[in-house]
Amino acid sequence: MDKVPTNATLSRRDFLKSAGAAVAFLTTLEANPAAALTGAPARVSLAPLSFEVGPGDDVILRMQADLQRALAKPVDQRRWVMVIDLRKCVACQACTIACIAENKLPPGVVYRPVLDEEIGAYPNVTRKFLPKPCMQCDNPPCVPVCPVNATYKDANGVVVIDYDQCIGCRYCITACPYASRTFDFGSTYTEGTPIAEGLVVGQTTADDYERAANFEYQEATARTGKDDSPIGNVRKCHFCLHRLAEGMLPACTTTCIGRATFFGDANDADSVVADLIASPNVMRLKEELGTEPRVYYLV
Amino acid sequence: MTKKVLYALGGLALLVGLWGFYDRFVNGHQNMAYGSYVVWGLWVAMYLFFVGISAGAFMLATLDYLFEIPLFKGTGKAALWGALVTLPAGLVSIGLDLGHLERIWKVYLQPNPLSVMAQMVWGYTIFGLIALAALYLAIRQPKHVAMKPLMIVGLFLAVFLSGGVGALLGVNAGRTYWHVGLLPAQFPVFSLASGAALMLVIIGLFGPAPAGNERRPQQLWVLGLLTVVLGLVKVYFLWADFSQSLYGGIPQNVQAVNEVMFGRYWWAFWILQIGLGTVIPILVLVQPKLAKHNGWAGWMGVLVLIGFAVARANIVFPALTVPELEALRTAFSGPHLSYDYFPSLVEWAVTVGIIGGATLVFLLGTDRLPIFTAKTEATK
Repeated sequence: MDKVPTNATLSRRDFLKSAGAAVAFLTTLEANPAAALTGAPARVSLAPLSFEVGPGDDVILRMQADLQRALAKPVDQRRWVMVIDLRKCVACQACTIACIAENKLPPGVVYRPVLDEEIGAYPNVTRKFLPKPCMQCDNPPCVPVCPVNATYKDANGVVVIDYDQCIGCRYCITACPYASRTFDFGSTYTEGTPIAEGLVVGQTTADDYERAANFEYQEATARTGKDDSPIGNVRKCHFCLHRLAEGMLPACTTTCIGRATFFGDANDADSVVADLIASPNVMRLKEELGTEPRVYYLV
Repeated sequence: MTKKVLYALGGLALLVGLWGFYDRFVNGHQNMAYGSYVVWGLWVAMYLFFVGISAGAFMLATLDYLFEIPLFKGTGKAALWGALVTLPAGLVSIGLDLGHLERIWKVYLQPNPLSVMAQMVWGYTIFGLIALAALYLAIRQPKHVAMKPLMIVGLFLAVFLSGGVGALLGVNAGRTYWHVGLLPAQFPVFSLASGAALMLVIIGLFGPAPAGNERRPQQLWVLGLLTVVLGLVKVYFLWADFSQSLYGGIPQNVQAVNEVMFGRYWWAFWILQIGLGTVIPILVLVQPKLAKHNGWAGWMGVLVLIGFAVARANIVFPALTVPELEALRTAFSGPHLSYDYFPSLVEWAVTVGIIGGATLVFLLGTDRLPIFTAKTEATK
């Protein structure tokens, strides 16, 4: 693979262009919030990487370079996929925690659990770990059942939820064969804890943190009240679209200590994921249902 | 006497329900036992139950206003009133289940027409309006030219919507317990059976005094036989469904069927659904003397309805108590992440309140509206 050209400095002109683009984008959001859900802009201009990447480098760096190439392409030419190498997963749950921190998930809402299964009978016992994000199916059963089109595949091919449109009927949860969706019941970690003021601890401070906005779907969504979205909505993994739009890999991918999770554009023949999903030992969950998942497992 | 007791019980139930409504609106869904795995609980089961009765009652109203069967002359208004009372009860039950009830207008103005749920919302709205118009005409102008077209469209909708509720569950290919072609076919039968049971209750316990309607014993006998036949068909459906599932051996399906028959709530299936709700009513209603008796027939109707309520729950819950992937049970813990389900106190309270409210509205209707016939009165 060729080395990616580098340029660590950001010129004033580049900065102004980026700032202008950001203002224009935010203006669009104001006028049409749903536009934020249709995905990242057609092409994302990012500052080039400040390092050179080659085939022998850490896979995170290679994926970062892959991501830059993908974001430079028109959105309809990308195909985001995730590959999880089950032989490398040690069930440390770092991805689960990273996801919770990134998306500020409340209790009872989980986007990426790690399934831990014991196989066999003593003494011939082994354990199998299966990190399970949303499969971002190309034929998602959750989409057609939604009575108000609140969930759909966006331009990136990622299945998203419009929190302001969702009526909270949970039909999509019943339709998902992977249990990839959870309902936000409005729980908080600090509920029932002693009320005490403090800089770091104490319900008052912690509660503020819990209610601060997350940035899912590139929108600042705060948990302000018991009935305000996303409370009362169905929620799910979205491949960290908001991070992708900023040129960052999904939180679960960068956090994986075993380098078991890979992410990238399968339409880029030079990408790490394109190479991995061409392996003979690749499988997808419940393929017989015809859902065409975009999450691949290496076994 | 029966009415006075029911007024008191209905009022009491409504009071209990008010606490449930209060908790639902103040605390949202936090105190509910359903969650992200068993996503639909008691309220959804009660929705299926009430709208099934509503559709069935409308089907039976056509005996009077569409098919003009002499034996059922004069029963149409009561059937329509029954349909009109149970439909909102079902809709309140499902409405409270929504995370954002205030956005329900979106289903009307921004619907996904391919969603079975959206189709149901539209369908039940039209159905309710038709039932309302039909009752209005039945009271004011029973010979109105629009009556029969209304009943034809309403009958079609009653069958379609009943099947649609089955399809709402059945289209979920990932839930093998639901995903059987038989499911949408069963539901119109269930609706008709629960409608017949409701009519047994209405005519048996609230109908005009025998002196005012000499056809009543015969009506009860025919409705009783209809209930028996449909009860047997229901049992056959159960047999076909369960035996195929167990024989086929698909793990998720077998697990769900076992959950119904031998799980934590086996007693609900065997004692309430099969024993009280099916076997006893059949044994009683095949005996002409008992079937023609107001009290016996009416209370058998109540038992059949209880059986149907449990049957609806046994359709909704078991499919959801089986994990999509077995290890999910322990993969992540948190509130509302459990594959065990038993309705919470708030859920019970709301359901009790809805039943109480529906009972009160029904009784008020029989007192204030000319439900039975112009020349007869409801029993006091």
